[in-house]
Amino acid sequence: MISFPWPAASSPGWFFLDWAMWILSAVFILWMLWDWYSIDSTFSEDVLTSSREGEIEAVSEKHDLRS
Amino acid sequence: MADKAYQPEEQSAAMQFLDIVFLLAAIFGTLLLPIYLHLAGAATETTKIDNPTWDLLKQTPGQVAAWTALGKDPASAHDIIQTRFNYVIDWPTLIAVAVILFLYFFLLFRFSDSEYRDVIAEKFGGGKK
Amino acid sequence: MTAATTTANGAPQKISLLRVLGPAHVWALGVGIVLVGEFTGWNFAAGKGGTLGAMIALWVCGLLYTAVAMIDSEVTSTVAAAGGQYAQAKHIVGPLMAFNVALYLVFAYTMLEASDAILVGDTMVQFASDMGVTGLTHHSFIVFTVVFLVWLNYRGILATLNFNFVITALAFLSIVILFLSVQPWSQGAVLKLGEMVTKENALPYGWLGVIAAMQFGIWYYLGIEGTTQAAEEVRSPARSLPLGTMTGMITLLIAATMTWYVCASLLPWQYLGQTVYPLYDAAKATGSWQLQYLLFVGTVLAGVASANGCINDAARAWFSMGRDRYLPAWFAAVHPTYRTPYRALIFLLPVALAFALIADINQAITFSILSGVLHYTFMSINVIMFRNKWPLGTIRRGYVHPFHPIPAYILLLLCIVTFFAIFLGYGTQLIAMVAFYAIVSVWFHFYRYQYVRRGAQFTMPWPKPVGY
Repeated sequence: MISFPWPAASSPGWFFLDWAMWILSAVFILWMLWDWYSIDSTFSEDVLTSSREGEIEAVSEKHDLRS
Repeated sequence: MADKAYQPEEQSAAMQFLDIVFLLAAIFGTLLLPIYLHLAGAATETTKIDNPTWDLLKQTPGQVAAWTALGKDPASAHDIIQTRFNYVIDWPTLIAVAVILFLYFFLLFRFSDSEYRDVIAEKFGGGKK
Repeated sequence: MTAATTTANGAPQKISLLRVLGPAHVWALGVGIVLVGEFTGWNFAAGKGGTLGAMIALWVCGLLYTAVAMIDSEVTSTVAAAGGQYAQAKHIVGPLMAFNVALYLVFAYTMLEASDAILVGDTMVQFASDMGVTGLTHHSFIVFTVVFLVWLNYRGILATLNFNFVITALAFLSIVILFLSVQPWSQGAVLKLGEMVTKENALPYGWLGVIAAMQFGIWYYLGIEGTTQAAEEVRSPARSLPLGTMTGMITLLIAATMTWYVCASLLPWQYLGQTVYPLYDAAKATGSWQLQYLLFVGTVLAGVASANGCINDAARAWFSMGRDRYLPAWFAAVHPTYRTPYRALIFLLPVALAFALIADINQAITFSILSGVLHYTFMSINVIMFRNKWPLGTIRRGYVHPFHPIPAYILLLLCIVTFFAIFLGYGTQLIAMVAFYAIVSVWFHFYRYQYVRRGAQFTMPWPKPVGY
């Protein structure tokens, strides 16, 4: 086994990272659930599902001409 | 033409929810469950060698050096070296799989075609060629 | 951009996705998804057919993908609609086929995303263990990878793809640096191909093993057809699409050959055939901590870049089906602020997580490959129908691929061989996956289709197809 000349080789650091991953994941999930709820309760279903096929192309073509 | 067009009914929220439940059941029931129950996955067999050494495992000196660099000894390399795929072709199963695949694609194109004819008839007007 | 579709007081009347990607983003999406194949997955071909078998599979699958690229360039440059192959199937074959094609895309990408997350998790744990830290499990890293990237995609894709462009380039660079540092020109210095691959072990299962290896040979390239999905953004599709796809293929062939050469020369085939991170292991076998560190970073970056692109593509396909009522219309919602298909993103999150946490990486990869091969089988038949329904000259094509119908027949033949390859060793998964598509197809044709508008599905300004 190669010995690494890196300070990151400390055991507590890795277990701290492990915990941080769990906590951050929970934060991101809760944030998305909260945002989902607030959007769905603010806007009507008709507005949210008003996208139609073909309109994206119109938007992207404008972008292409402009850039 | 427009008044002839097929107007689908709007789906109620409850029915949409049921559809979502069905999709989840299909995904987890047919794809994840066989893996969870170990019914699906690689078909391999492991031939055991007692008290393995590099010689018994038939490794050349260069290979032994590589194994050592990867942190393996004969005991921990044993399962990796001795596990092999089992390629016994079971003809009835192979034929069954081939028939299932063919039927799947055949019906897929047949049903698609019948739906496609509706689409074309409504879009371009039916009857005249 | 936003002003065009939003009223002054900020209340949107009609919301659609934003498509603001340039060619560099398209490259990052396409190559970013595929490149992870060099860092994991392809090496299972060595397990199924030996090291030499893996190399033969590499080149035969290169041929398969050249046919895919040729066919896809023609159809995509003509049906230049968002949704890619899904829109093509809708216009050429029919609604049920389009439903299946969209599902192929969703599952090819979602399972690839799951295997990316497993790769990131396992690489973190292995790296920690190589530094003497034991007792970690990969779960937190898997969950964080998926959740964080879904969150990024939820917040909008432009920033996400700028980030993808950089990490994809860095991951590619790590392969090149590894290749150049092991002195590939002088065998015996670091590389020992003759020691690792001998007459006895080059083809441990004979020629049957070479066919079986085709399954994972696909993994070197799976997803490259995604580069043509962004047809709308390319300035001159007729020239750029075939050129871009073909140069992408050549790049991948070179990267795959470099990867094979380094790994085959440093790792015994049995080890290579089962490891999750072959390039990282190859770096470890060189004995240089710098290379080991570099390939650790490269592997994690490639996994993240790929998962990121997959989340975007899978959610788009799922969203498109909701918009056409192929799936409950509930999925067709666009986030009013971020303009992303947020419900599709949230729905697919637990699906990807479940497979990443429960399946083995080779099983997740097999599901992804199966969806890919089903998709290519469709493509070969699709292009023949396309030429029959709209013969050359009836509509304007951006690009016409040569030698029709030979590429289509080669592709169909190679797909049949690959199905047989998957049958060898992974037959149960093949049956499970076809059963899944069959069940949802029956559900779609006999029940779900009643909610779909008919003529409105055909949006291209084309004449009536021949024979209808």
